[in-house]
Amino acid sequence: MIIYKSQAKSISGNVLRIERSSIHDGAGLRTVLFLKGCPLSCPWCSTPESKHPGEERGYNPYLCTSCQRCVAVCPSKALSSDVKENRVDYDKNKCGLCFRCIDVCLNSAIKKYGCRMTVQQVMDEIYKDEIFYYHSGGGITISGGEPLAQPAFTAAILGECRKAGINTAIESSFYAEKQDIELILPLLNDLYIDIKHMDDTLHKNWIGEGNTIILDNLLKTESSPHPVNIVIRIPLIRGFNDDRHNLIEVLHFAEKLSKVKLIELLPYHRLGSETYSHLGLNYTCTEITTHSIKELEELSAFMTSKSKTVPVAAGSGFNAG
Amino acid sequence: MVHKKGSGKPDNEPAYMNRINRLKERVLKTRPEMDLENAYLLTKGFQESEGKPLVLRKAYAFKKQCYEKTIKIWDDELIVGCPGSKIRGGILCADSCWSVLDRELDTISSRPYDPFYLRPEDRDSFLAEIKPYWKGRSNYEEWLAQIPHNTKQLRDNGVVYIDRKAVRGWGETTAGYEWLLNVGLKGIMEEIYNRRASLDITRPGDYEKDYYLQALALAAEGIVKLAERYADEAERLAGTEKDQVRREELIRISETCRHVPFNPARTFQEALQSLYLYQIAIFMEQNAASYNPGRMDQYLYPFYRADILDGKLTEEKAQELLDCLWVKFSEPCLFQDALTAEFAAGYPMFQNVCVGGVDETGRDAVNELSYMILQATMDVQLYQPSLSVRYNLAKNPNSYLRKVVELISLGTGFPAFHNDDQGIMMLMNKGVPLKEAYNWNPCGCVETNLEGRMRQYTALADINLGSVVEFAMLNGKCQKSGEIIGANSGNPEEFNTYEDFFNAFKQQFAHVVRAVVAGSHVIDEICLERPCPALSLTFKECIEKALDYAWGGAKYNAGNGIILIGVADLINSLAAVKHLVFDTGRVSMEKMVNALVKDFDGYEDIHKLCIEAPKYGNDDPAVDRIAGEVFTYIADEIEKYKSKYGKMTPGILPVSGNTPFGLEVGALPSGRKAWHPLADGVSPSGGTDFNGPGSVLKSVAQIPHGRFVQGTLLNLKVEPAMLKTENGITQLMALLKSMCSLGVYHVQFNVIDQKTLIEAQKNPDQYKGLLVRVAGYTAYFSELGKDVQDEIIGRTVQQGISVG
Repeated sequence: MIIYKSQAKSISGNVLRIERSSIHDGAGLRTVLFLKGCPLSCPWCSTPESKHPGEERGYNPYLCTSCQRCVAVCPSKALSSDVKENRVDYDKNKCGLCFRCIDVCLNSAIKKYGCRMTVQQVMDEIYKDEIFYYHSGGGITISGGEPLAQPAFTAAILGECRKAGINTAIESSFYAEKQDIELILPLLNDLYIDIKHMDDTLHKNWIGEGNTIILDNLLKTESSPHPVNIVIRIPLIRGFNDDRHNLIEVLHFAEKLSKVKLIELLPYHRLGSETYSHLGLNYTCTEITTHSIKELEELSAFMTSKSKTVPVAAGSGFNAG
Repeated sequence: MVHKKGSGKPDNEPAYMNRINRLKERVLKTRPEMDLENAYLLTKGFQESEGKPLVLRKAYAFKKQCYEKTIKIWDDELIVGCPGSKIRGGILCADSCWSVLDRELDTISSRPYDPFYLRPEDRDSFLAEIKPYWKGRSNYEEWLAQIPHNTKQLRDNGVVYIDRKAVRGWGETTAGYEWLLNVGLKGIMEEIYNRRASLDITRPGDYEKDYYLQALALAAEGIVKLAERYADEAERLAGTEKDQVRREELIRISETCRHVPFNPARTFQEALQSLYLYQIAIFMEQNAASYNPGRMDQYLYPFYRADILDGKLTEEKAQELLDCLWVKFSEPCLFQDALTAEFAAGYPMFQNVCVGGVDETGRDAVNELSYMILQATMDVQLYQPSLSVRYNLAKNPNSYLRKVVELISLGTGFPAFHNDDQGIMMLMNKGVPLKEAYNWNPCGCVETNLEGRMRQYTALADINLGSVVEFAMLNGKCQKSGEIIGANSGNPEEFNTYEDFFNAFKQQFAHVVRAVVAGSHVIDEICLERPCPALSLTFKECIEKALDYAWGGAKYNAGNGIILIGVADLINSLAAVKHLVFDTGRVSMEKMVNALVKDFDGYEDIHKLCIEAPKYGNDDPAVDRIAGEVFTYIADEIEKYKSKYGKMTPGILPVSGNTPFGLEVGALPSGRKAWHPLADGVSPSGGTDFNGPGSVLKSVAQIPHGRFVQGTLLNLKVEPAMLKTENGITQLMALLKSMCSLGVYHVQFNVIDQKTLIEAQKNPDQYKGLLVRVAGYTAYFSELGKDVQDEIIGRTVQQGISVG
């Protein structure tokens, strides 16, 4: 895809939200741009509101007083009151996403996920934090959703950041077209890539797609002339990818890539489980338990002991319980 | 500042901490008591000196206090001295405010804020000896008789708070400790003697100077005697002490007090002891908050350095001495009336010690003592001293900033972090040339000061900005009382533009400032009768001009401080009216006014719109532009006025005044409900900032800090992950540097601990902006389900999850 410079700032994309002063998503203090839309279907996803590319409506029945104000203003008749359950029922298929219901809700029970923003609008937010990048060595991290599901938008933002001397990173599954990878590599300082499993079939069974494209893209990145740093992250899901065999496979793969600077083990967390119900979705991972810090450190020590070149770290620990 | 027991204590404490822990324990276990010995001796002194000029009587009575007061040295002490007769005493300044105790005789032991236990025998002595003499003669009574009518109306309706300086002494000053340590009282007395010798009492004006200098000499003699009495007591105790080690310590104390403060200090211990004996002397002279030791790492350094080089002192011994002094700073308790205590609770002595910054040549001033002073606060973790750091972005080293962050991470609320360049700017804006402004020090809470050279009340009066907004909405009416006490700024329903409304606000604010300035002049006049010879002793120019500190004798005299409370409430209210009434027209002014009067009852839709209007603290230009505009106006308006000493000086530091002021204000366009607390300092209102600390700093930076020369105060929430991990510490350092680049003056941190999260779970509205973050994920805490919230509460301090 070719982007003409004059057009770059008017390209628009689907944005979930922008978080500022984050210390968990790359070097320094970072502005994290969460994009909306992801081609994979990880059942444990902590951000289900980022899966669908368009705008969505969330509803929290615990905050709802069933006052009917939203039912009264809905032009599409998508809302109906359920007096017995003290809640308002929502018919997704009828909803025209006008969000008038949000304007009248007095209890913040309804939420809009996502909005359309131009590159210029996003950049105006990013520039606001320049002083923090300067003092911390931070910058912009594009996360998701999947940033590479909107390659032109992502590349245009990274390009603008480059021009302004802002450090750039993305958090991606790398499940993306080859030419889109080529588009962003010259614009990046750091890449955070998930490897969920080394076995193609298991990967496909759990996530809906195989891992070939992902691993190929990593190899392509390695052989590209662009000096990007890669951090490989393994989201640890008990019973799926936390066996030592798989971890060693990841390690061996990573050791082939000189650009991989670190492997990080990220424990599963269920912080986003509530959002599933707000979106009317089922959360299927209720049985999964998180690795304890001790387990995490053991696994990390195990990998370190087997590693010749790549350091391994236990990432953010969070225990359910 | 609340002492947190056991927080951040290392397992392998150095040996000297045994002594420090015992000293601390004694302070923590002792209940604050009224201490009337001082008032009793003052009364006797005044009775014995009838007929003399006031300042001589004050000096005579002070000298009597020094000669006759109880002298006690407690176990384990290395630095000695107590301003009263009790270890945690509240001293009554009878000449300022005997009637405060009279009014609270039955409640003082049990009042909700800062109770003092009053013994029956003290109560009897008060009624029999103290009250009869002072009835009708105190500064407070003069104030009550002279307070201007409109000022009184505004005070009585909680629009201003202006009694503070009528119920206690001067304070809010930094004495000339450095001069005292270097020349001793001996040197100062020579100056007084020489100055007196140059007078000719047949010349008009010289008689006043002559008796004033006599008064200074009396005060100096008193302090010399006080030190001798401590030396005698230490010697007496040494004579009966069985423990060899303690006996030697007592002998050393005795030798020290025999030498200083009369002579120049020769050693580090003598310097600390000299400083503290003078500290208790000025507190004995006038009970007040904010006698600030200031830049101890600078003026103590030569003594420390010399001792270390001579091998007389080890670093550990020096630390122990500093820690001992730190415990002493926590002993005295500020006595104030019940209402003033509500505005500044916690017996707040506000003895502000400061480290870092630049020296008088503008170079990096950080030295070994800067680190040791930070360490003393880490070791002792008591209420006092109030520890401030000056951080100079360009000049101070990263290792120093790192040590500061380590102290922040203990979660005690210390230190107050000050942006050095802004402090220097503030002092210059008070009329001090750059060369001297380099030597500024924080004072009291976050005010600015200059040791031995500057006089002013830094926080004379507080203005309730919430009330001012209310006046603009109700054309001068106070909602709570129904009285019309503001200006006639017009019926808001007839305003056509936001500018009309903003002009109404300006008229109301100008009206309140006039009343405060009128009151300030009265207090300045009353305070001419509040001379303080013991304090004036270390102000060189007071001796040179033979003019007391109270009479404007200091080298620099600034106009009194006028403090603004309810900053975020004001900005958010202006923004909401602009946005809802004028820009979008979504709410008519009539409806807005009605909604406020009804506290949004029946106007829930308008309340929602008010809450959702742009809010200060989110780096949103739509509202932050208003912040810059209105606070430039406010500084202009206050600076329009002068006292006989200089321009009036604005500042933003609520201490705890935002809570009582909130009780006086009805609902506001910001969406704040009636009678709730106002926002503190320059911080955003609770639950209205959603973008993390960086955005708060960006918004706060829109206020022209350097113009608010009595300082601005920011409380920032900090994520535990920022304090527990290497990466977090580095990023907090970066955040502090960014804050300095942005021109924000001050910040102190509240760590989001489990208690905060439990509070957030119960009151989600107040904590709407609280973020939960891990790699690749963020959410608002209030939007999570209860079970997930409970998990996070259980895991707050763990690495990797950060809430904030």
